Amino acid sequence: MIARVRAGDPEAYAELVRAHTGLAMRAAAALGAGADAEDVVQQAFVKAYCGLGRFKEGSAFKPWFMSIVANETRNTVRTAARQRTLAGREAAFAEAEPLIPEAGDPAVAAVEIERRAALGSALDKLSEEHRLVVTYRYLLEMDESETAQALGWPRGTVKSRLNRALRKLGKLLPDFEPREGGDERE
Amino acid sequence: MSESYGGQGAEGKARERASRLPEELRALGRSLDAPGAGGSESMVERVLEQILTERLPVPVAHAPGPGERLRAVRRWTRMRWRSLAATLCGLLAVLALTPPVRAAVLDWFDFGGVEVRYDPSAVPSPGAEVPGCGRSVSLAQAERRAGFEPLVPSALGAPDVVTVTAEPRGRTLVSLCWRERGDTIRLDEYPARLDIGFTKSVREQPEWLSLDGDSSELGGAHDTALWFPRPHLLSFWLVDAAGSHYTREQRTAGPTLLWMQGSGVLDAPDVTLRLEGVASKARAVEIAKSLGEPGHEDAGKSSD
Repeated sequence: MIARVRAGDPEAYAELVRAHTGLAMRAAAALGAGADAEDVVQQAFVKAYCGLGRFKEGSAFKPWFMSIVANETRNTVRTAARQRTLAGREAAFAEAEPLIPEAGDPAVAAVEIERRAALGSALDKLSEEHRLVVTYRYLLEMDESETAQALGWPRGTVKSRLNRALRKLGKLLPDFEPREGGDERE
Repeated sequence: MSESYGGQGAEGKARERASRLPEELRALGRSLDAPGAGGSESMVERVLEQILTERLPVPVAHAPGPGERLRAVRRWTRMRWRSLAATLCGLLAVLALTPPVRAAVLDWFDFGGVEVRYDPSAVPSPGAEVPGCGRSVSLAQAERRAGFEPLVPSALGAPDVVTVTAEPRGRTLVSLCWRERGDTIRLDEYPARLDIGFTKSVREQPEWLSLDGDSSELGGAHDTALWFPRPHLLSFWLVDAAGSHYTREQRTAGPTLLWMQGSGVLDAPDVTLRLEGVASKARAVEIAKSLGEPGHEDAGKSSD
């Protein structure tokens, strides 16, 4: 595919864009691009196109491209007031549609929205490294080696930071028991 | 129910929550996707249009030139920095704790709350003495006030004195003291966080130790300890006489072992520990290792 793009076939690049838009939009949203997500992703695709000459034949496009999206998001977010984007990101987490629309029970939906906002704000409290590793690995559902490539870290580092980030995240989250099980901690 | 141990129930629940977190995060990620499809087609149009209007050249693969190779080396160094640091830290007698490296080391080992500063001019006064703990509370009271269960090394047995001190930013410090042949052994414990509670100014580098005996895996955060063999300056927080303001105090500390004890359980805090008053490294390590032994946390062990 990359070879076809380099040979000047625009349809080949269109195909790459088509295949990666969804994930790129999710990444931009998760990393705080807010309303700028579409522009950020468009810019990332254009930058990737320009940088394709440097792309190493045979390596994976997805992690390489995701690191461009992350950079682009960071550049955009940096210009906006950090506080505002954080608030925006939390709002994005809270407003996003519940994954399983449990239409019958608004209470379930409310709990889910609350939980998601809590997760979002807990994520914001992590250090940049921890937030990135959690975002790539889980929010973007990339595997460990893709995450390592995207972040430019060795795999062992991904593993240990991920562990630590999860533990921190767990500590940051309020106790949450979805209503069943009334036992409390002392 | 006399002791408020979390016991099996809380631990099981924490574990259950830990295993649920990745799935919740994946769901959170998916929830961010825009509901309507077709977004990708308009993105294709936008991107191709921009490429056309800006007349961007077709990317051509180029062989890595010298500049590229230099960048690759730099990238490699950046990627391997931590493992490099791990390999070298035995050798890096002086370098290991100069400021930029120190930051990496702190982060890497997660020695929450302790800053180690290399300062050749920090001259400790002779005759360091370990301060006692003051008025005692019971272990159960300490747990209630500190919000975590004080860790008691079985090698030392029940402490003679237990105190809880308030520290800035809502942190509490638990100190355990033992009297041994007229001398004091003191163990300070607090939940690990990165705001600095103790600062050690050392003229000589501490020694890195591995508590589980396998030094090949220094990356494992919870089996690494720092041994400070010589007296050094230690500064720490104290509440002033009025009981409201915190002041930085400084005193000379004797040989000290510093390490962290992770519960391994999501949700239960890691604890940073500082053992002072044991002059022998071997004994200090033995005491640190005895924290994980049965005797004080059999409730937790039995579920494994």
